[in-house]
Amino acid sequence: MMTIIGSLILILGCGSLGLYLAARIRKRPIELRECLVALTLLDTEILWGGTPLPEAFATLKDRTDGAWRGFFAELEQRLQKGEGANPAWKATIQQQMKNFCIKPEDWQVIQDVGKGLGRSDRHEQHKQIELVKQQIVLIKDQASEWSEKQAKMWSYLGFLGGIAGVIFLI
Amino acid sequence: MSLRYTLHPMPQNSVPNRPQEKNPDLHKCSEKTDWNAITRWFGDQIRGILEQSGRIKLKEIEEIRIRIGRPLLLLGSRQEYFLDVLGKAAPPEKAYLVQREDLMQTLERMTQSSLYAAEEEMKHGFLTLPGGHRVGIVGEAVLNNGELQTLKHISGLNVRIAQEIQGRAVQVLPKLIRADGLLYHTLILSPPRAGKTTLLRDLIRNLSDGNPVLNLRGQTVGVVDERGELAGMWQGIPAYNLGCRTDVLDGCPKRMGISMLVRSMSPSIIAVDELGHPQDVEAVLDALRTGVSILSTAHASSLEEAMERPSLKELFTFGVFERVVVLSRRQGPGTVETIHDLKGQHSSL
Repeated sequence: MMTIIGSLILILGCGSLGLYLAARIRKRPIELRECLVALTLLDTEILWGGTPLPEAFATLKDRTDGAWRGFFAELEQRLQKGEGANPAWKATIQQQMKNFCIKPEDWQVIQDVGKGLGRSDRHEQHKQIELVKQQIVLIKDQASEWSEKQAKMWSYLGFLGGIAGVIFLI
Repeated sequence: MSLRYTLHPMPQNSVPNRPQEKNPDLHKCSEKTDWNAITRWFGDQIRGILEQSGRIKLKEIEEIRIRIGRPLLLLGSRQEYFLDVLGKAAPPEKAYLVQREDLMQTLERMTQSSLYAAEEEMKHGFLTLPGGHRVGIVGEAVLNNGELQTLKHISGLNVRIAQEIQGRAVQVLPKLIRADGLLYHTLILSPPRAGKTTLLRDLIRNLSDGNPVLNLRGQTVGVVDERGELAGMWQGIPAYNLGCRTDVLDGCPKRMGISMLVRSMSPSIIAVDELGHPQDVEAVLDALRTGVSILSTAHASSLEEAMERPSLKELFTFGVFERVVVLSRRQGPGTVETIHDLKGQHSSL
């Protein structure tokens, strides 16, 4: 009886871990897509609204969900305290990256948004954001393909690993 | 779209305040300067230097000049100070040389990291910070079809620290008021940095609140604050006390604002700063036909000089102004040189 319960716990434990990892992998392209939406909104606020960054980030905070909400809330606070846009963008990434499923190589691209942010005219800002957006689109497409395969693999691998463990122990 | 400081925290005492002067002729007045409210707008290095500059009489400082590759300079009412890296007054060759990054950081703070949002202000060559401090900007002009589009490669900033000086208006008011208590159409003239705006603010407050000493009853004053300097409005609250019967139209061009106020707020007096554009003159001429008194300022060091200015000539031709107050810096900013009575055609001090 105890053997059966122990085996079930092992299989379910490994399976859950696999599902958790699969969910994180699936979340990466979603977060990248949300990043693209947020950058489009930021671009609109800058290009068409001429909205100062603290106010633009406050709008983004209200119009995004999950981890990005916290990200823009921190950015808004940092700018209100008088930090420059680029240092604030970098520091927020360092502080907030633990709340995301985005990989460090993705953050390197997102970090480029901060370079020169708010230091030029609207059209220059627009070009700069567009450039980063194009790079994020590429990463997101790659991440979508990769994540589908990886997520499936990890969800099966968890349960199969659990079963293999049970067989090995018995 | 212009730069908005709507989300920026407004510190207490953002306007250095000089309370009622005991002797208006002298500039020795008790003053509480909240230096931090001003230094917070500068880049880290310059901010550090300014915060260490405690030995300099900060109440005297009128301007802070930042020019790339040039020494950091504080301009007082009587003296100028070059500051070294420790914030001490030093000769120019030993003073701290401003770096490009210092200027960029300062500009970043002043525009809330949103230089693009200050395009309209850049076209006019200045920003107005909360509290009414005006920041002049120079750089390379970008022209489009002969029109100034913006400034790039910014090379220098001039931060003019706004200060509230109360009590000076009492000196001149008796000569600007008719027997029935109404204000003559008045123009205040002076070269830059001679206290036009400060006197105008004090006059507005006195006219609005009334002054029992002068037997003056309070009147409704409409202020068109095109540059945001007169009232230093922040989220609808003026940084300066402009009196209890004053309505402020903030950030509105004079040519539109004057008629808007006349139609909507029924003022007895319309106060505007720095007449100079032909459209401003047109608006003033129009307002005259509505029965309000005009209180205004303009750049000129004498009445003769003002009469020669093409943009103001028309106002004198039509005999708009009845009183002209001429200020200078002879005994410090705000020295009243003469008060011309253009109706009676004589001058007095």
